[in-house]
Amino acid sequence: MHTLKVLSALLKINIQMSLAYRADTLINILLNLMWLGWELLSLSIIFNNTSTLGGWGLPELVALLGVFRLVNTLMIALVWPNTEKFNQSIRDGSMDYTILQPVNSMFLTTFSRITIWRAWDLMLAIVLIGVGINMSGDSVTLFQILTFVLLAVSGVIVIYSLWIVLIALTFWFTKFDNNVTIMQALLDSGRYPVTVYPVWLRIIVTYIIPIAVATTVPLQALRGDLTVSRILLFVAIGIASFLVASQVWKAGLKRYSGASS
Amino acid sequence: MSQETIIVENLSKTYQVPEREGGFGAAVKSFFKRTYTDVKAVQQVNFRITQGEVVGFLGPNGAGKTTTLKMLAGLLHPTGGTANVLGFTPWQLKTDYLRSMTLVMGQRNRLAWDIPAADSFLLAQAIYRLPDDEYKKTYKELDELLELEPLMKKPVRNLSLGERMKCEIAAGLLHRPKVLFLDEPTIGLDITGQARIREFLREYNKRTGATILLTSHYMADVTALCERIIIIHHGQLKYDGSITDLSRRIAPFKLIGVQLGYSNGHDLSRYGEPVQNEEDAEKHYIQVKAEDVTRVTSRMLSELPIHDITIADPPIEDVIERAFNE
Amino acid sequence: MLKIFQRLWIVNWAEQWQYRANSLMYLLYWLVSPIVHVAVWTSIANANGSVNGLTANDFVNYYLLLLIVDQFTSNITIHIFAYKVQDGSLSGELVKPIHPMLTNTLITNIAFKTMMLIGFVPVWIFLAVIFKPDFASVTWQGVLLAVPAILLGFIVNFLLSGAVSSIAFWTTRVYSINEFYFALFVLFSGQFVPLQLMPKTIQAIAHYLPFQLQIYFPIQLIQNKLSPAEILQGFLIGFIWLGVVILLFKWVWREGVKRFSAVGA
Repeated sequence: MHTLKVLSALLKINIQMSLAYRADTLINILLNLMWLGWELLSLSIIFNNTSTLGGWGLPELVALLGVFRLVNTLMIALVWPNTEKFNQSIRDGSMDYTILQPVNSMFLTTFSRITIWRAWDLMLAIVLIGVGINMSGDSVTLFQILTFVLLAVSGVIVIYSLWIVLIALTFWFTKFDNNVTIMQALLDSGRYPVTVYPVWLRIIVTYIIPIAVATTVPLQALRGDLTVSRILLFVAIGIASFLVASQVWKAGLKRYSGASS
Repeated sequence: MSQETIIVENLSKTYQVPEREGGFGAAVKSFFKRTYTDVKAVQQVNFRITQGEVVGFLGPNGAGKTTTLKMLAGLLHPTGGTANVLGFTPWQLKTDYLRSMTLVMGQRNRLAWDIPAADSFLLAQAIYRLPDDEYKKTYKELDELLELEPLMKKPVRNLSLGERMKCEIAAGLLHRPKVLFLDEPTIGLDITGQARIREFLREYNKRTGATILLTSHYMADVTALCERIIIIHHGQLKYDGSITDLSRRIAPFKLIGVQLGYSNGHDLSRYGEPVQNEEDAEKHYIQVKAEDVTRVTSRMLSELPIHDITIADPPIEDVIERAFNE
Repeated sequence: MLKIFQRLWIVNWAEQWQYRANSLMYLLYWLVSPIVHVAVWTSIANANGSVNGLTANDFVNYYLLLLIVDQFTSNITIHIFAYKVQDGSLSGELVKPIHPMLTNTLITNIAFKTMMLIGFVPVWIFLAVIFKPDFASVTWQGVLLAVPAILLGFIVNFLLSGAVSSIAFWTTRVYSINEFYFALFVLFSGQFVPLQLMPKTIQAIAHYLPFQLQIYFPIQLIQNKLSPAEILQGFLIGFIWLGVVILLFKWVWREGVKRFSAVGA
């Protein structure tokens, strides 16, 4: 399919780019391992002082860390580099070229830059999830795994849609290129189960900037805590958010072509 | 009867620009109340271009040429009027339209900076869905005309400006568009570089019959390439016709600049029309009809203590200002 | 000289005002982490009565004070400076007869903080209302002592960040190095959790590093939780670090500018 061909061409380009900066890649991997060490240290400090956090034990928190890292990796591998490129392209006018390509501009903006070596990070995240499940000693059914994957994908789509809306805001407010920072900040709250937070923060990270939909929720599915209707609800939210984001993007492009020079 | 590729009727574009003065007080004031002024970038422009024509858009900076071009490319929505290119309304950005046209902007980069141009070309192939054999054929033709091969493997940021422009133009032509919009394609290039690009465009038009619309503020770009010139000034179409007619219309003149041996008491109005030039304090400038240049120069050389003398074309702004004074 | 600072202030403030939406975002970003930590630790403290002698209220106090202290001692030098080296605009600043880092970058930091304060004050009050800290242990002597500590923390941090940012003169990988510096800061400053809760070895090391001058030391001073001996030791170590970073910064800067001028922008 055409989209796949374009995607594989983009992948090739990004692999080239990362090969050009091999030393950087190595340094980044080391830094990443350091942060992982630090994250595990903080979990151990917490659980030296308590046996549960927000109703969840250490195994669940380890799995949650894995889910969090999964989402965070996508942020770092896709969102940050493409946000930078997007902001740059608005500033220097190369967005014009993107608009004139016979390929959806939202798609191009999403995948122009891909930090390839982060694929390793994704695998690490999945390992963490596996370790957490193992530590808990509970058995996991196929249904739980499938719903976990489904909701993880749906959660990522929600975050993706949020990102699109945030960067599309630059079409209206050009001096606003710090747009994605709020998302990254709130993403940090995804390390811990949402039950730990005061009500107002819980509402913010579940319904307004729905980080919890991508972190706590899939993990709840993995534990079998969700009813089928809740699962369907979250999937519907994922689809709806994508539709909203596409509309906002289209509107943003119209604004860009009406008001720029 | 040749097909009319580009039809433009009463095309207009007006911007609303927020007003703002500097200073803290003004910043606070503008927070509460915004005032706007209207900028009429393009006003009621009309023209028609047939398939295969090479047309030059001439005009000083800020005249409205780039705005017009962007509307034809589909990047801007006009505030009034219509345009039709290859049967499409450009700003609807239909995929079939995008695959049959190209826009190359001299001051903006399409190619990714850190990777060789070859990789960006392959991405373009995927995006425009060009089958391998077709793509290879097109590339070979472009390589023949532009000598691309030695440039392909280097990262784009390591190329000189001239080399980069060649790659940028080639990248825009891989899908064999029927209409080319070129915005200042030779800007910043040296004389050889400029000539090279012009030669290429001429040859390309001959071989493919593509329609080319070119904006520039270098008169030379346009005189070398275009049989037809459209002059846009203050957003209005001032002239649309052939070059020969244009040169008949504009009385050609030259600028003579002299550096005199003494600094006072010089009245050069006997020789020509004195012209102010703030940039060059050392020289005095006069404007003289082209046909009179030799006569006036020899007179000045014999009658005045001249240390340095230059004879040049006046800037295009002056030419247009003179010819099309409102 | 004063006039130069005045002018720099006007220019920097205007720029901050232009990008005020950015400042707001940054403020919200910077608030989330402490709020998350308050939530986590108060929930633990409530579940277990206390953690290592600290009650839930102690944690609330700590993080709310952290927000204030961090506002004053943090700096954004790396974000400003590395760009200037890489895009060459530093050249313009170097030919002026004033030190780019010690004047312009410093003022940019201060202007940025001022902008942030405007948003910070109402947000902090809001958080105080929600979390209801009990500042019983705060004394005016503690606050008074904390002022020089905060100043010290800012200057040491500013110069240290400046030295790290100056690595941009040598390599574009300055962001990775800065990330490493930031990781050390998070580990040893008390940003994540009061240092008493860290493993003993980390506490011991943190004691001698400059990072806690930025967070832990001023907070404990305000809350009057240090013995006179500890206070003295803290300041002593602080001043030693001040001397060290001044020398370090001077040296790195000098070498960096040499290299910058030799190699070109």
